[in-house]
Order: sequence, then C-alpha cells, then structure tokens
Amino acid sequence: MNHENDTTDPAAPLGPEGPAAFLGPGAGPVGPASRPVAAIRDLRVEIDGRAIVDGVNLEARPGKVTALVGASGSGKTTTGLALLGEYPPGARIGGEVHPAAGGLVGYIPQHPAAVLNPARRVSALLTDIARSQVCHLPRGRRRAAARERVLRALSEAQLPDGEALLRRYPHQLSGGQQQRVVLAQALLLGARVIVADEPTTGQDALIKSRIVDQLAAVAARGIAVVLLSHDLDVVRALADDVLVMRAGRVVESGPAERLWNTPRHPWTRELLTAQREFTPLGLSTGIGEPVLRIRDLIARHRDGGAHGRPTTVLRVPELALYSGTCLAVVGRSGSGKTTLARCLAGLHRDHEGEILLDGTALPRTLRTRDGAQLAAVQYVFQDSRAAFDEHRPVLHQVARTAVRLRGTDKGTARQKALTTLTRLGLPKELADRRPDQLSGGELQRAALARALLARPRVLVCDEITSGLDTINRRGLLELLAQLLRERDDLSLVLITHDLDIAALAHHIAVLDAGELVEQGTAPRVLTTPEHPFTVSLMEHTARLGMGTGR
Amino acid sequence: MSGLRSFVARRLLLGVAQTVAVVLLVFALTEALPGDAAVALAGDQPDPARIAAIRAALHLDRPAHERLADWAVGLLHGDLGTSLTSGRPVSTYLADGFGPTLLLAAITVALLVPAGFGLGVLAARYEGRLVDRLVSSVTLAVYAVPEFALGVLLVTVLALRLDWLPPTAVGYGTDLLGHPAALVLPVLVLLSRPVCSLSRLVRAGMVDALASPYVAQARRYGVSGAKVRYAHALPAALAPAAQQLARTIDWLLCGVVVVEALYVIPGLGTVLLNAVAERDVPVVQGLAVVFGVLTVVLNLGADLVTHRLVPRAGVAA
Repeated sequence: MNHENDTTDPAAPLGPEGPAAFLGPGAGPVGPASRPVAAIRDLRVEIDGRAIVDGVNLEARPGKVTALVGASGSGKTTTGLALLGEYPPGARIGGEVHPAAGGLVGYIPQHPAAVLNPARRVSALLTDIARSQVCHLPRGRRRAAARERVLRALSEAQLPDGEALLRRYPHQLSGGQQQRVVLAQALLLGARVIVADEPTTGQDALIKSRIVDQLAAVAARGIAVVLLSHDLDVVRALADDVLVMRAGRVVESGPAERLWNTPRHPWTRELLTAQREFTPLGLSTGIGEPVLRIRDLIARHRDGGAHGRPTTVLRVPELALYSGTCLAVVGRSGSGKTTLARCLAGLHRDHEGEILLDGTALPRTLRTRDGAQLAAVQYVFQDSRAAFDEHRPVLHQVARTAVRLRGTDKGTARQKALTTLTRLGLPKELADRRPDQLSGGELQRAALARALLARPRVLVCDEITSGLDTINRRGLLELLAQLLRERDDLSLVLITHDLDIAALAHHIAVLDAGELVEQGTAPRVLTTPEHPFTVSLMEHTARLGMGTGR
Repeated sequence: MSGLRSFVARRLLLGVAQTVAVVLLVFALTEALPGDAAVALAGDQPDPARIAAIRAALHLDRPAHERLADWAVGLLHGDLGTSLTSGRPVSTYLADGFGPTLLLAAITVALLVPAGFGLGVLAARYEGRLVDRLVSSVTLAVYAVPEFALGVLLVTVLALRLDWLPPTAVGYGTDLLGHPAALVLPVLVLLSRPVCSLSRLVRAGMVDALASPYVAQARRYGVSGAKVRYAHALPAALAPAAQQLARTIDWLLCGVVVVEALYVIPGLGTVLLNAVAERDVPVVQGLAVVFGVLTVVLNLGADLVTHRLVPRAGVAA
C-alpha cells in the first residue's frame, strides 16, 4: 500500500459535491433559503410509445409540502415514484431526476398495510434499516444502538409504546398505527424527502385531519413532503406549492394560495368546482310508503374464534327507507355502517330484530332468501375491483345477474346488460374488456349496472365513491341521482363517511360506535344537528374544508 | 394464546379418533382378504385339518370382534401384541424397521430442505430468465418420472453399467450407516420428486413475495438483496411449502414401500409388505397405529408452523 491513490484518482475531488452542485445554480427560480433537496426536470416516462408522464418539472424543498393534484391516471404516482428512482416495468425514461442527497427518500403508500410484511413482526424492516446505520460501532454495541434508533423513530412518529408495538404483527395494528409505523420507517431512514401517495383516500374526516396534522409535523421537521392526492381538502390544508396534472402533463403549477384564488387553466377550475358542486336531491317528493323498515336491530360480531364472546356492534331501534328516496348512513370507520348494510343484504347473519321489505320480514341470510328477495336488495361494494372476477369480461359478469335473479335467457340478458352499461357510460368496447383493463370509476359503474339488472327495490351503496377522484365521484353521484329520478320503484341506502355526499340524500342517519345517534331529513341534520357527535363530525369536515388544518 | 392451545387439544383429540378409524379400517380390510395367517403358514401343505389346527393354535377361530377387542385392550396397556407368524412382539418388528426408515428419511430431509428451497429461491430470483426456465423444466421432467422407474434406471446405469455403487443393500442388514454407498441410490430416488414439488411451490410463493409492495419497500430502504430474499420474501412464501414438507416427511416415515423393496432395505415398508403377504394382522395393525400417529402429529406441526408464518389467518380445526 502506498499513497499513489491520493494523486491518481481523478474522480475524488468531484465526489462530495455530486447532486448539490447539480441542483445549485441551474435549479431555476428558487430562493436561496430553500434549495430543493430533490428535483425532477422535464421527466418523460413512456410505455410502448405512449407517454404516461410528459414534461414534468418538480422541486421538493425542505420543510415544504409540494402537492401533485389530478384525477386517477393523470400520472401523479408515476411522477412520485420517479423521485424514488422507481419506474413502471418496460418504461423508457427521458429527462432528469435528481434524487435527494444519499438517495434517502421515504414512501408512504395509500394502503400502509401493503408495505408491511404480513409474515414478519413490525420490528423486521425497522431493525434492518437501523442495523445498516450502526456498522461503525463495535459489534457488541450494535444491537442496543439499533434498538434505540428504532424506538426513537417510533416515538417521533407519535407511537409512544414502541417496545410492545415492535413485537406485534402488522394485522394486529390499527390502520392509523400502520401508517405511523410506515412513517417511522421513513424517519428512521433519515429521509430528506417523503412521498405520500393518497394518504387520506377512503378515510373519514377525523382520521383525515389527524393525517394532515401528522404530515404537517413531518414538514415542520424540515423534511420535504411530496403529496400525491386527489383529495383537494387535504391539499388545501397542507400544500405550499401545487402542481395540477392531467393526462401526464402539468397543466398548471404555482403557490397554493395563488392557485386556489385565481386558477388559470380551465382544467384546474373544473377540478376545483367538481369538489363541491353537487345538486342535493332536495326534499322527498311526498311521504311514500316505507319500502324498508328496520325494527330493534341488534347485530353482533364474534371475535377470537368460535369460543369468543359476541360483542354487540350495532343497535338500531327504528329506521325506515321510503320509496323513491335516498337514505344516507353516516359515521366514522368502525361505527357499524357497513354492518348495517350487510344486515340489510343478508350478509351478516348474527343479528336480531326485524328487517321488513314491503311489510314482510326478510330472512336473515342470503341462503334463506328466495330469488325475488335476493333481487330486491342489491349491494354495491366499496372495492369494485375485488367485486369482479378478473378473468372474465365485465359484460358477461353483469349479464349473469339477469340470468340468475330474473331468469332471463342469455341473449336477452346480454342485451339488457349492454343497454344498462351504455346508459351508465360504459360503451360496448369497454364492457367487453376484462376488469383489469378498466379504471376504478368505470368498474364502479359496471358494479352499479350489475346491481341494477336485478331491478332492485333497495340499492345499498357502501362507500362506492371513496376510492375515486373528485371528477369521477361527481359523475357517479350524478348518475345515482338520475337513477333515483328515473326509476320510482328504486330506493337508495348510501353508506358514507363523507358529509358532503350525505348532503345529497333525502334523509340522514348518523351512527356512532354502533348506536344510531341521530336521524332526520338531510337539511335538518346538516343545519341543526342535535347530537354532539354529529356536531363534531361536521366541525372536522368544515375544518378540512376551510384549509385550517395546520 | 389460549385459542391456540385449545386448537392443539382439539386437533390431538381429532387425531386420536382418526387413528382409531384407520386401525378399524385396516382390520376390516385384512379380514376381507381371502385367506388368513393360518393358510399362509400352512404353505405348501394346504391340508384343511392342518390349517384348522394352526387356526386354533393362533386363536384365529374366535370371532373377529373378540380378537379386535383383545388387541385393543392390549394396546391400552402399551402392548401391540405378538406376530402371528413368528411369535415375536410387534414392537420389536417396529423397532427393527424404524431404524433404517428413520435413517433414510433423515438423510433425505436434510438434503431436501436446502435443495428444494434453494432451487425455488434461485428460480424465483431469475423469474422468466434462463436459470428459471432450466430449473423449472428439469424439475417438471424429473417429477413426471415415477420412483420405481427412476430407481430401476439409476440401478442400471450407476450400479450395473458403471459399477460405481452397490445396486441394493442386500447383506448389510440394519447397519446401513456402516455402508453409506448403499444409501446413495435410495436417497437419490426418494429426493427426486419431493425436491421438484417443493422447489416449484417455493418458486411460486417467492415470485409473488418478490413482486409484493413490502419487498419493494425493503429494497427502496436499502436492505441488501440476499437479506430481502431470505429474511423478507421467503417467510411470506413458506406457508404452502411447510405443508408440503410435512406431507413429504410423513410419506418418508410411513415406509416408502417401493424404494425399500427395490433396494432391499429392511425398513418399515418392507415390514409392512411382508406382514400383509403373511396376513400377520397384529403387525399390520401396529404399523397402522404408528403411521396414524405420525401423520396426525406431523400435520399438526405443519399447521402450527403455518400459523406462525401466516399469523393473520388464525387457526381452524
């Protein structure tokens, strides 16, 4: 060994400056106080010659929240993953991506459970990350040092009882805890940039505002947050800079304040107005007969196998759905909304009390209901992708309803399915595809068509819009309103955690912790809520809506 | 964890019932076979009077249910009865035969686990590439060959043509460890198919696990490749393989009749074969009890391992 290396290695002097030098002078109009820690220049991602992202520029600045806004499929996630150096398989990449110094970028996905290994304890990945940071220590002290780092990261992510938590498996954590564990991974990594992909989609107002606080706290630590979201309330509450994306391009970008007040691009304007512009169904047209009546319903769940004691999860003394109207059932996650819907549809067996359809009691389970009763109550699920067989064309699956429940022959059923699908906005060339070739919004329409083919009296819609972006959501809700106007024998039960959606209904029933705490006509419940829970639910929604979440 | 304990208790109870059912079924089937131990013993002199005498001496003239009851009472005291043909206790048959079988099974499993898992992980790592196609097509081809055919082929080529290995274990008795060369061919044949099924299961599980978001998360947070494969992806891919492994061990321990017969290894399979030929009902029943208990215990073990690997699934009996 001699010191020849010191003089002959030409790469050595250039090393340390690396990305910083790149981003410095050429990084565009950025104040000296907040030099971007990661940036994307003119990114183009192409699959099979089709650009899914084109000409995108993005800067992540420390302590700032940069939001990418747009409908599903607009290229938000592709752009966000590019910051992590990840691209779809087979993609051709153009432009430049300057990742954060040391490549330390954290990622919080929409479903935190997906990135937690179901077969390993929570501690597994955290310990592996920490281990790689303590290599410099003597062997004997590494274990303790890694442990200490993990616990510190957990407490920074607002998980105080780290010791106990580390021993659990992901499925033993609540959704909120899972999300904070994933955040702890990013903090432990020492990420300078954190990409959060739709962190609030499908969450109720209370959880949403908690996530907003959490991300605000992350930004306050000086970490650059890149928020990918179609939830404009959350973007409004958090973002410093906003990029509006459409079909892979940024149509407008700028400081959040300016964008909200004076949107320049028509698409931004449409996105912003789609947010609130629903037309409520108004007052119910005369008091019709109740088509569905619930009396003294008590539903239970069994935990811990056959020997666990059943716990009461829902208590509804009296609730009615009138013909031709829409009843919204509102409540937080876990309040018993879905259990109520499942009782109506005969999917939750363990309940007492009566569910009367046109005055006759419905049997408790699907198996004991006859064909007409099955057809009368139809269910549209939240996860439309899971509700379709991925191997058969959508049209075929939709037509089966008419064959099974109405005894129609195959040809007629196919024709009817096609008519219904077309009316709901799915032309034949889309209907002939398999589910994986349709978007979430299109599949949800197909699911709706499938339920309608049974000509139901009662259509139960369980959070059917919560996975959709604002524009798709508005389309679907308008469709529901139109259906209700056209078919006078149809009534809707709308399960939702979103008061804005509930405002569309004629009647609202509010559930909290399994109890029916309030019910009445929609205008009454929304303007003069009586129960404290309804009041707090409305305050959280308002807080997000006003953008005062920080 | 009390749920788990009651699950184990229920499964063991169910296992006892299953073993009893197996024993009853085996007894009924051996009764249904034409001829009995007396006929087999009489051998070349099928003189009716002689057969009747032997039958009386062996108490075979008593009604079937009484014989079964006697045997069952003995079993409750830990006595498996005595052989009809030799008069030796059944337990000595089992003890003698278990040694070689256990030896074969242990060696096979010791090689099977690294080979099966290693090939599966290797193929999944290079999914769709040359290594994967090579591993997948070879394992499929080998799996398609029945054991007896592969056994005969190996004997012909490696023992008779090339004279590298002894063709059978004839003459070595139960002292097989002293003659390791005699073990090579039987272990190869025993390994052939389980390695293929195991590696294909591990490959399928690993392909899914490696494409999963949690593995992507481990990779993007800088966990090294080998650690991602073995510490993060493999545990999630193991559950089906664990079940398959338990079935394979069960198959190996419960007397691999074809292989033992082919290589003349005096294991449980050979004991079973002879006992059936001689209508030696107590020995057959003793074997049925041992096999039943082994199957129940191994499957319970596999379920517990699966429960540990897929904690979310819970347990059901």
